[in-house]
Amino acid sequence: MVDMASVPAQDDNRRGIERELKRGSLELIVLHLLSQGEAYGYEIVTTLTERTNGSLEVTDGTLYPVLYRLERAGFVAVRWETPQRGVPRKYYRLTHAGEAELARLTHEWNTFARAMAQLLRQQPERT
Amino acid sequence: MSLEQSYIDRVIARLPREATLREQVAMEVRSHIAERVEHGQSVEQALQQLGDPVTLAESYLAAVPLIPVSFGRRAAAKLLDALAYVAVCAPIVGLVSYRFQFVFGMLVGGVLLALGAFYPLFAEYRYGKTLGKHWLGLRVVRESGGRISFGQSVVRQLPLFLEVFWIDVLFALFTEKHQRAFEILSKTRVVLAMENHS
Repeated sequence: MVDMASVPAQDDNRRGIERELKRGSLELIVLHLLSQGEAYGYEIVTTLTERTNGSLEVTDGTLYPVLYRLERAGFVAVRWETPQRGVPRKYYRLTHAGEAELARLTHEWNTFARAMAQLLRQQPERT
Repeated sequence: MSLEQSYIDRVIARLPREATLREQVAMEVRSHIAERVEHGQSVEQALQQLGDPVTLAESYLAAVPLIPVSFGRRAAAKLLDALAYVAVCAPIVGLVSYRFQFVFGMLVGGVLLALGAFYPLFAEYRYGKTLGKHWLGLRVVRESGGRISFGQSVVRQLPLFLEVFWIDVLFALFTEKHQRAFEILSKTRVVLAMENHS
């Protein structure tokens, strides 16, 4: 018998894990996207959606604090461009420290993903 | 007031009263809203993307590390507060005693002392620091990094009024984040001021 009450709870839990995974990988995603050159916030958001056909999507409210953290940590440098009229636009690009961080995180991610794939391929041993 | 400005104000209200941080975040949020508007979206849509202003403010604050400070530095700030207070009050008490009677001087001194006990409560709520903390580069924040509420400021000062100040202070020597018992209770911390971050 299916306990209906537990279904939404499970669903919540699943989303929770998804959220955690996304949060952990956001810095890597942003550094990777910026490695292809300077971009402003909206470009980064839309590029991410396009490149992953919408399966990886972030809101502005999630992305911008991550960019701010990377900026404070010195991994990303910023440049303000003031148009003739209107609001100044903020451009982000990788610094040398950012490139090194990107390489480190990429390596870490690949090692982790390989280990997980290997683990999940194994049949459970019966004792 | 425009929708955009009232949203930005709500984000800013949650940040500590440090002008540079507030300006940075306000300018940044404004520019990101403008990006979406320039791509043909409405301000409402842009704000929806940014989400709840309190959550956004706390996410920005999470990017600013909270650097703990030593017990000695905090004690020094407290001492400076006391010295500054004496420097202000002593001439007044002296003048009153000299001009009228000694007993009046003592009376005025007592009133000033009682008022002085309330000084950290208002200063920390209003400015996030007292004079002594300002001189030593310290600030008072919520554990999330946000600005403290008036209630939190009151709870921080309770041990003085309950006359358990010294016991409370001892906690700061042994707790993980060097918090006094009433700081743990009020969920506040004393950390390094942002302008002193390297």
